Amino acid sequence: MNQHTATSHPKSIACAQNTGMQKPGTQNYRELPQRIGIGTPVNPQQFGYGLQALGRLLWMFVVSSLLLCGQSIARPYDDVIESGVLTIFVYEDYAPYSWVEGGELKGIDVEVGRAFAAELGVEADFLVRGADENIDDDLRVNIWKGDLIHRKAADVMLHVPVDREVDARNNLAVIMAPYFLEQMAVVADSSVLPELDTFGRFLYQPIAVEVDTAGDFFLSNAFRGQLHNSIRRGRTFGDAVDLYNNGEAVALMGSRAQAEWVAFQSDKESKVHQPPMPGIVRRSWPIGIAIKHDSRDLGYALGDVITELINSGKLAEITKKYGVEYIVPENL
Amino acid sequence: MKLNIKKTALAVAGALTLGAASIGSALADGVTIDEIVGDQASVDDILTYGLGPRGQRYSPLDTLNKDNIQNLFPVWSFSFGGEKQRGQESQPIIKDGVMYVTGSYSRIWAVDIATGEELWQYDARLPEGILPCCDVINRGAAILGDKVFFGTLDAKLVALDAKTGKVIWRKKIADYQAGYSYTAAPLIVPTEAHGPLLVTGNSGGEFGIVGQVDARNPETGELVWTRPVIEGHMGTLNGEESTMTGNANETWPGDMWKNGGGATWLGGTYDPDTKLVFFGTGNPAPWNSYLRPGDNKWSASRIAINPEDGEIQWGFQTTPHDGWDYDGVNEFISFDMEKDGNTIKAGATADRNGFFYVLDRTNGDFISGTPFVQNITWAKGIDENGRPIWDPENRPGDPAESADGKKGKAIFAIPSFLGGKNWMPMAYSQDTKLFYIPSNEWGMDIWNEPVTYKKGAAYLGAGFTIKPIFDDYIGSLKAMDPATGEVKWEYRNKAPLWGGVLTTAGGLVFTGTPEGYLKAFDAETGEELWKFQTGTGIVSSPVTWEQDGEQWVAITTGWGGAVPLWGGEVAKFVSYLNQGGSVWAFKIPKQLAMK
Repeated sequence: MNQHTATSHPKSIACAQNTGMQKPGTQNYRELPQRIGIGTPVNPQQFGYGLQALGRLLWMFVVSSLLLCGQSIARPYDDVIESGVLTIFVYEDYAPYSWVEGGELKGIDVEVGRAFAAELGVEADFLVRGADENIDDDLRVNIWKGDLIHRKAADVMLHVPVDREVDARNNLAVIMAPYFLEQMAVVADSSVLPELDTFGRFLYQPIAVEVDTAGDFFLSNAFRGQLHNSIRRGRTFGDAVDLYNNGEAVALMGSRAQAEWVAFQSDKESKVHQPPMPGIVRRSWPIGIAIKHDSRDLGYALGDVITELINSGKLAEITKKYGVEYIVPENL
Repeated sequence: MKLNIKKTALAVAGALTLGAASIGSALADGVTIDEIVGDQASVDDILTYGLGPRGQRYSPLDTLNKDNIQNLFPVWSFSFGGEKQRGQESQPIIKDGVMYVTGSYSRIWAVDIATGEELWQYDARLPEGILPCCDVINRGAAILGDKVFFGTLDAKLVALDAKTGKVIWRKKIADYQAGYSYTAAPLIVPTEAHGPLLVTGNSGGEFGIVGQVDARNPETGELVWTRPVIEGHMGTLNGEESTMTGNANETWPGDMWKNGGGATWLGGTYDPDTKLVFFGTGNPAPWNSYLRPGDNKWSASRIAINPEDGEIQWGFQTTPHDGWDYDGVNEFISFDMEKDGNTIKAGATADRNGFFYVLDRTNGDFISGTPFVQNITWAKGIDENGRPIWDPENRPGDPAESADGKKGKAIFAIPSFLGGKNWMPMAYSQDTKLFYIPSNEWGMDIWNEPVTYKKGAAYLGAGFTIKPIFDDYIGSLKAMDPATGEVKWEYRNKAPLWGGVLTTAGGLVFTGTPEGYLKAFDAETGEELWKFQTGTGIVSSPVTWEQDGEQWVAITTGWGGAVPLWGGEVAKFVSYLNQGGSVWAFKIPKQLAMK
């Protein structure tokens, strides 16, 4: 338990090392209680009081170790620890990052979120919502303002593009800690398209894509709209995957992780391709986390968890479970 | 509570020549479909959104007039209470001395008009995870028999017992988890085949929704017919597939019609003369018009539907191939137009795109299209077929052209996407033969944004800022002659106008302002005759009726709606306004109504 306390704050780690404490690994982060926020109400007897007490203990320990180092911590980190719950935003219907299957919330981002909570020694409470029109709306609704009805926001949002301009124009949120490299890709049925050298193939072959996504915009614009009649749009990513799996489309465009995941779980002989994408906005970009502007200390703590996940190879193990190759994002 | 109902029922019992024993059944039998169809002529109740199914918002009452308007005084103010305020866009329904008024966050109240006391309140329990795009408003209820109907933000339709507020039935209009919502006042129309029908549109900000009009049995909430408004989608009648709307690929490329947009979020009107239901449809999706070459029917249109079977009788597209977010949802008001000695069965609508259209309501034929706001840039005019004469210079650029990551071409379009006129309903006077249009003079900068992200993935989007055109005002209430397109008078308001209009046989025009005033104008000259400060912004539609021989006026108040959410540079005109949530009732006392 003490070991966890030490990893829960980057500054406390430094202090702990200075004071001769052993720097712990992350191997036992799964031992802490975890729960899925949606549809599983907390049983206070089981978690609530116990965790609150645990939280208080941890908090006292952190504070005392920090006081020793002469550092202060801002409120949001305190609040999270004191409440015993970290609220984590993930997108809904977003395999392989975050989606519900058989009543269970799963995915790469979900596992990263659980690691956050475990390392802080708190419960993970997932806030699962769909995407709004763009990232600016998502940051407003899920991080700095909350929704109009219930005014609920999360402590941390996952899967946020690390982009200086996005960060600059959303000054009430802070984007940090890249943990994943997003790319665009196509998964194709090898029996029809063993190789894919150009998107020109889709003048003649149908390709599936989730409607109103980066892939949809690229395909709609490609070759001055000539692919229009070949695009099969799914209302959700799951719908697009169905179009691919049932043969209505011989390929599917999405992020590389999505394409690799489809190849991984499809019965079809599938291969992931990254042909030239003339006019694509970005072929690749880093994905990180967002926190509220006054919660930077929480962000640093979570950034430290990410560093551990990457360095220990744990994150690569997580993505591998979903058939996704892990590529370390460039440090911006 | 019981006492109040008895008292109000007694008050009208005499007028209805009902025996004392039938006080209870006076409410139990309640409102008939004939009363709804004839609502405009009956002055002692307001049974429809729009003071009559045509939505003219004209009252034949003339007790209150230009000469005695200074004697209009507040009687009571009823607070919606709670922590929840935001925009109040609701129009009250009045029946038998009871006011049924909806409020933000899907709430509804029954209020005793004689005392201003609450009879009952119903709060919809809104689930987590609903994300209404614009504001948490509601525009009003409908009434039939012993039931009051209203729609909720989680896209459900609720029928309540008018006496008690207890739920009789509750039906899903659409799936809120798929981005659907509901804010409009439902419409009740007569049919021969099915009896009265409860007709609703749908709303949603998410991509991938398709506009639709539904008709239900008001007794049970069961669907009778559905009519999707985008070409290629199949309608239903009595649970079976009926006909397809248009043809799948006629005006849309590929499979884009499947997610074509066109939400019918503002509800509709009904014309008892032609027996047609009129609905407006929202803008097409996706926003970037370069991705969807074609007219994209029936987005940004008015459609006329036969309520007997849900078939589209005609459609008229105000903004074909929309690229400016000019929703075509604004109300279509039936009226008889005198022109060159003939009476034309006409209908009029003041579109987001800044043009005032007059159509033949029997067949949708174009009669005229004239600007009702100044300096329109997106089109040079409307041609003889009713199609816009586009100005290619002022269509937002193709985001693909700025793939180098630089800020792309910027254009300044008038009106802004909030429209020359937004949702707020205009009024038509049967006396002056003028339309009173609550409009706004503003434009928008639109530019291609280098990179934005959706669900963590990069694409080229567009940025926009709304800008006032004039330094000293945005709001503009105009009196327009539909026969000539001439603007007879104009009242200018500093903040954008966001409330509906009412006109009366007393020669008056009422509207509210975001600055908090309910104002009355001379219908002929536009002279401001009266105003009252309600303490918060007004973004709703006033009503007037007669009770116990006195003329009353009521308005809901509470600043909100889309302006504070999207306002851009308009913020400096409205940022100081305070929220609220109440309904104000005024009357002119008998002894002060003498001329």
